[in-house]
Amino acid sequence: MKRILAVAIIMVALIGSVFATGNKEKAPAKGVTITLMQNKPEIDGMLKTYAKVWNSETGNTVIIKSIGGSSSVTLGQQLKADYAAGSMPDIFVIAGKQDYKEWAGIILDLSGEKWVKDTSVAFKNNGKVYGFPVAIEGWGLAYNADLLKKAGIDPATLNNYEAYKAAFAKLDSMKTQLGIDSVVSMAAGPQMGWVTADHNFNSLLANGLPYGDMTVVNQLLNGQVDKKRLSEYADWVGLLFKYADKKILTTGNYDAQVGAFASQKAVFLHQGNWVDPNLKAAKATFKMGFAPHGSMHTTTDGIFVAAPSYYVINSKSKNIAAAKQFLNDMVYTSQGQDFMVTKADMIPAFSNIKLNPSGQLSKSVQKWSKEGKIYSWDQYYFTGDFRSLTLAPIYNQFANGSINEAKFIELMTKAFESLKK
Amino acid sequence: MKRRKQNTFIFWLFLSPVLFAFVVVIVIPFFLGIFYSFTNWSSSARADSVLTFIGLKNFYRIFRDPSFLYSFLITIIYTFLNVISINVVALVLAVVVTTKLKLRNLYRVGFFIPNLIGGLVLGYVWQFIFNNAIPAIGKAIPLLAGFANANNLILGKVDSSIVALVLVGTWQYAGYIMMIYIAAIEGVPESLIEAATIDGANSFQRFTSITIPMVAQAFTITTFLTLVQSFKQFDINVSLTAGGPSTMFMGKPIFGTELLSLNIYNTAFVANNLAEGQAKAVIFFIVLVIVSIIQVTVNKKKEVEM
Amino acid sequence: MILKKQNLIVLEILTMVLFLLFLFPFVILLINSAKNSFLVTQRPMALPNHWGMILTNIKTIWTNPNIAYPSSFMTSIIVTASSIIVINIFSSQAAWVLVRNNSRTSKIIFIIFVAAMVIPFQIVMFPLLSWYRKIYEITGIRLLRTHIGLIFTYLGFGMSLSIFMFHGFIKSIPYELEEAATIDGCRKDQIFYKILSPLLTPIHATVMILNGIWIWNDYLLPLLILGKGNKVQTIPLAVSNFAGAYVVQWNLILTAILMAIVPIIIFFLAAQKYIISGMVAGSIKS
Repeated sequence: MKRILAVAIIMVALIGSVFATGNKEKAPAKGVTITLMQNKPEIDGMLKTYAKVWNSETGNTVIIKSIGGSSSVTLGQQLKADYAAGSMPDIFVIAGKQDYKEWAGIILDLSGEKWVKDTSVAFKNNGKVYGFPVAIEGWGLAYNADLLKKAGIDPATLNNYEAYKAAFAKLDSMKTQLGIDSVVSMAAGPQMGWVTADHNFNSLLANGLPYGDMTVVNQLLNGQVDKKRLSEYADWVGLLFKYADKKILTTGNYDAQVGAFASQKAVFLHQGNWVDPNLKAAKATFKMGFAPHGSMHTTTDGIFVAAPSYYVINSKSKNIAAAKQFLNDMVYTSQGQDFMVTKADMIPAFSNIKLNPSGQLSKSVQKWSKEGKIYSWDQYYFTGDFRSLTLAPIYNQFANGSINEAKFIELMTKAFESLKK
Repeated sequence: MKRRKQNTFIFWLFLSPVLFAFVVVIVIPFFLGIFYSFTNWSSSARADSVLTFIGLKNFYRIFRDPSFLYSFLITIIYTFLNVISINVVALVLAVVVTTKLKLRNLYRVGFFIPNLIGGLVLGYVWQFIFNNAIPAIGKAIPLLAGFANANNLILGKVDSSIVALVLVGTWQYAGYIMMIYIAAIEGVPESLIEAATIDGANSFQRFTSITIPMVAQAFTITTFLTLVQSFKQFDINVSLTAGGPSTMFMGKPIFGTELLSLNIYNTAFVANNLAEGQAKAVIFFIVLVIVSIIQVTVNKKKEVEM
Repeated sequence: MILKKQNLIVLEILTMVLFLLFLFPFVILLINSAKNSFLVTQRPMALPNHWGMILTNIKTIWTNPNIAYPSSFMTSIIVTASSIIVINIFSSQAAWVLVRNNSRTSKIIFIIFVAAMVIPFQIVMFPLLSWYRKIYEITGIRLLRTHIGLIFTYLGFGMSLSIFMFHGFIKSIPYELEEAATIDGCRKDQIFYKILSPLLTPIHATVMILNGIWIWNDYLLPLLILGKGNKVQTIPLAVSNFAGAYVVQWNLILTAILMAIVPIIIFFLAAQKYIISGMVAGSIKS
């Protein structure tokens, strides 16, 4: 019996020591601790630095968790696991209506907040404000101005399909002169569904339409397909894929895609202004900007700009006041503004902020917005399930060459028809 | 009488920690899991979400889901290839390192080392090899130029991606199975081999008539281990191919290398349909049980015959 | 096998080639950990220009707040070591009473344990989370986000195979030994600790190694129990936290992987002789 006792004592000691280390994770005594979970790993460092500043200002601690999105776990998945585990963060990020529905039961009404009057792009549902816009973001085809100049192409003229087709062919014929591997850096690999089935897909939904126009979205959600629009869109996708680097297109990741543009191996990049910090890190100093998204036969002179993601506050949180204060301080303190605009290089969604981001593509997005030449982001009206499990494989097959354009149109049509309730 | 009482007491005392853990970690979640497969369970906070019993609806739905049926098919193919590949490689390695090679101990260690590394991490390394290193080799060596062609990327096609999964699976697991075969081979009495040599049997004859039958008893355990390992494969699948590239099945576009575990995970997480994911897991469990029973019975029978 | 001498030399060469091929991925890993991110993607097969770069990369990983290598490393050590100790102690005890008790209950319990090995993790993973949460709500015992919860869960998932292996080994030990001790007046529990435990050393080693490799590398369970981005994280979680980001930098990912696998490889090489003989001995019996 003695032996058993001894083992038992050792076990208890062991368990005790483990418990002890576990308990050390408790927050510092001063102030309260809130948790923020967000989906932009590229600003993780800046956000954590700001969290420290905020802590010294207010005495409250904010723990930042950044969940990246490629092969392992996405924000939505982690939120579900945390929800099941009963440890939801106090502030988290949603992207549009479908996400909102997912979490509607615990999203706090923020209509009474101070910042509401200073932004026009907050997330609203039934007239109430629920989401704090993280930033204004824009995407389209980013171009390398130096290379285009060498080839004698003016990006401003690229406002329809024919113009792009001619320009791509010309650039392709000058490959060795320009020292490029391919014309466009595009990615449609298994982990890059967000480039094709989120962003690229949105040009089918919104290109050429007035901002916020839901005609095409509603049609497709009802299973009605505008054949002409879809076939023009398919031409555009085919054109992009044809002039893309096949290796990056089929198996490349984000790094490979952005890397090709940064190292001047591709003239165009199908991405958004969030690549600015990556381009800076890769020391890409050439002149660049966004070209008009001329993906259709009619002229479409604009790019896609929106506030696609929002901070929301967990209504079950014990520290709602601190969470609200954190969001407010980002807009109304100089340190908060400095973080959002100068450090994280984001375009602020609030009219009271006078700072400007330094990234070239962010500046280009601002320029397009100022001119009012913008189209909306509508892909989030479709479920994540539909986009990543139904549409992404179709793009992927088209990119691999295992289906042709006619088949692509057929599959897309079928996919939309399946949405009819 | 006192002794028996004491024995019973010790029996339950020694069993209680594992029984407790077993019930809390396995049994209760397992039955909860089966229960949830008959409900509309979801893990997000929809405004209108109430857990309701929906009978067999989930099962009805998953059997009409092409991605699930395809996963099933591809998992069977993968398992078949993987079990054969791992066992053949492991057996060859085991035979080789039990000969009188000078560096046999070094080889044993080397072949075993990949087993020390987790599938997730290992998938990242191999993804890098397939996407970057092999095309670079193709560029450098004219004979292998085909690998440099972007149309021939190994992870760019479904068939070759499956082969890649098998290759990486074998690389990881063969060393472990090799150990079991080594044990079996070293269990062959030296005298038996000597006797056969004296009788004039050449090394091939000795191998087929002595080593193989002696090793056969290890087949039960090695096939069982590799079968279950292949069927449950998840980590390598996630980090190496992430389910891609896509293909068509029953007229629907789907992921071409999405094995069952990943399909279940994606259903629960990405498609946010936890209940349907549970239903798939229940079917997965039933299949595993059937396959294991068949495998063990067949092998046991064979062992007796030999 | 007995082979002719020249055949042996050919075989030696062939095996050497195979051996090098097997270790080739590690070479790739090593050379690319000593490059910058540009060189990694442009010239993956080339030898690095400066091997010193590997130190720069290691330093970057070491100080990266998301990986928090020193603390993640400690967590991995604590979780792996405690889990294998707990699993070994409790499984060997359980296996012994299951072998030596011939009652029907004992047999049924053993069969259930073994049968549970086929339960796929997917079927229990989500119910496990919601169930742990219920336990917390009712009893206040926190199994989620804590070391203890993770270790306890590993006991649950690891015990079946461990008991199976101990069971096979103990069965081959003659009962006479224990009988003699009983006649000498040894109490039942003393028999286990005094007579049997020393004989179990090789199988203990095998079970520890198998579970150790599994737990050290495990990804999904720590992800669910510990969660992502929390202070308590294991090395695989830390690596994926880093590799899963949109900003993929292969040189740093490969360095992080290198740093994740080096400890276990060193441990293996140091204890290699013991491990291999233990594994061989252990696998015969089971």
